[in-house]
Amino acid sequence: MDDGRNRDRGADQALRQGAGIEDVTFSVGAGEVFGFLGPNGAGKTTTIRTLLDLLHPSSGSARIFGLDSRRESVAIRARLGNLSGDFGYGKQTSGREALRVLARLRGIEGTGRADTLAERFKADLDRPLGRLSRGNRQKIGLILATFHSPELLILDEPTSGLDPLMQEEFLALVAEERERGATVLLSSHELDEVERVCDRVGIVRAGRLIAVERVADLLAKAQRRNLVNVEFAEPVELEQVRAMPGVVKAEYGHATLEEIFLTYYGEGEGEA
Amino acid sequence: MRAQVAALVGAHLSDRRRSLLAWGIPLGIWSAFIVVIFPSIEDALSKAVQSYPEALKEAFGISQLTSVEQYLQAEMLSLIVPLALGYLAVRAIASGLTGAAESGRLDVLLSAPVSRARLVGAGFLATAIELAVVLVITVALTCLGSLVAGAGLSFASALAGYANVWPLALLFAGFGAIAAGFSLRTSVVTGAVAGLLVTMYLIDLIGRLDPDLSGVRYVSVFKYYGNAIEDGIDPLAFAGVTVAAVLLAAVGAWLFERRDLAG
Repeated sequence: MDDGRNRDRGADQALRQGAGIEDVTFSVGAGEVFGFLGPNGAGKTTTIRTLLDLLHPSSGSARIFGLDSRRESVAIRARLGNLSGDFGYGKQTSGREALRVLARLRGIEGTGRADTLAERFKADLDRPLGRLSRGNRQKIGLILATFHSPELLILDEPTSGLDPLMQEEFLALVAEERERGATVLLSSHELDEVERVCDRVGIVRAGRLIAVERVADLLAKAQRRNLVNVEFAEPVELEQVRAMPGVVKAEYGHATLEEIFLTYYGEGEGEA
Repeated sequence: MRAQVAALVGAHLSDRRRSLLAWGIPLGIWSAFIVVIFPSIEDALSKAVQSYPEALKEAFGISQLTSVEQYLQAEMLSLIVPLALGYLAVRAIASGLTGAAESGRLDVLLSAPVSRARLVGAGFLATAIELAVVLVITVALTCLGSLVAGAGLSFASALAGYANVWPLALLFAGFGAIAAGFSLRTSVVTGAVAGLLVTMYLIDLIGRLDPDLSGVRYVSVFKYYGNAIEDGIDPLAFAGVTVAAVLLAAVGAWLFERRDLAG
């Protein structure tokens, strides 16, 4: 899987404050959606900030597109989009003003597909960011990260603050980005979203990468072959099911709150 | 490269558009007030100055107050404007570096293909422009006050006096860039450099008051500040302090390139 496109080899980051990372070695193939999984404080953000050259490793190196993440950081950043979990820019600035600045920094005429994305995510590009809720600010951050159709998307807990509808839309966008041929590095502690969009995951614990596996393989390993969800065409009494040979436990299933929420909001009925 | 710097400078000035007016207009009105009242207090001032202690006259560079230029120098240009503009310079450069780090803007800008050195350079350039705009507003209002009151202020002298503040203030923007290489907290950067500004002023003051200590003035930029409203701009001092400011900003950019930007 290692095509040398995005590789963080033994990035050994010893920060003076907080947890650092050590012994984090992985590679991400072109067109792959790679999940970076771990609880808060595990080292996901530190790894990503090291890849973006915001933090400098005390030892080790990382290569993205075959380029050194420290010495050739500017060339790398010309080809990527990045979104952190708590996007901020400036209270007085509108999303459109921020877009114009970023477009000029990237040497892009206009603002790419920003308006299409704004319509899709129901984002207000013209209101000052200080007057937007956290979720709506996060949508602007998502647009800033993707408007120029980058080859690589680095997303650090991108769905923080997004409502379930927008999380769905976001996951659809990630799938489309993969279809377009983009590579995605997605850091998250939301197991559900990682399971749904990622091809492979790396699991980080206490600053160390402890596993890198295909999502399908992980799920297969965890499969409980004695537990089966079965849906009947008509309502049934639990006693009937429990009476079946070999059944030791039966209970009614129920929709998750998220599924219930989504039934109330059909397509095109997003937030006001 | 030029387009990137233009974009960064434009964004910086747009963010600080309120600050331009918030500093320029009060300073201009204050300065204009000094000029407007001068004709009515001119005679009383001349007598009062004769009774001032020599040390006080030396401290504020007052020999006599017989012209509006001398009065403007004593009331505005010897203390208030250099300290205010020096502080504004630190605030301005800090807003583009530490302020941007605190708001998250720095992360967004550095996701684009722009180097940190260019970011610092653009912040320094934007600060230089901001200072110039504030000074232009101040000079304009001052000269307007002179016209209204018939104070007879020479426009060229006023321009020289206020323009002379620009390199001095810019030097503290350079110190601000260096401080941002060590700390990403705006309060730390502005506090440290504002402290340096006041310390340099006091060192120069002590050196002027006590001839035995006049040597200490060489470590203060105020030694090279002079009295441009009366004597004209000293081109060597003006250029020297400007070059020093640019060099400090370059060191700041070098430090900023090498530091970690923790989220």
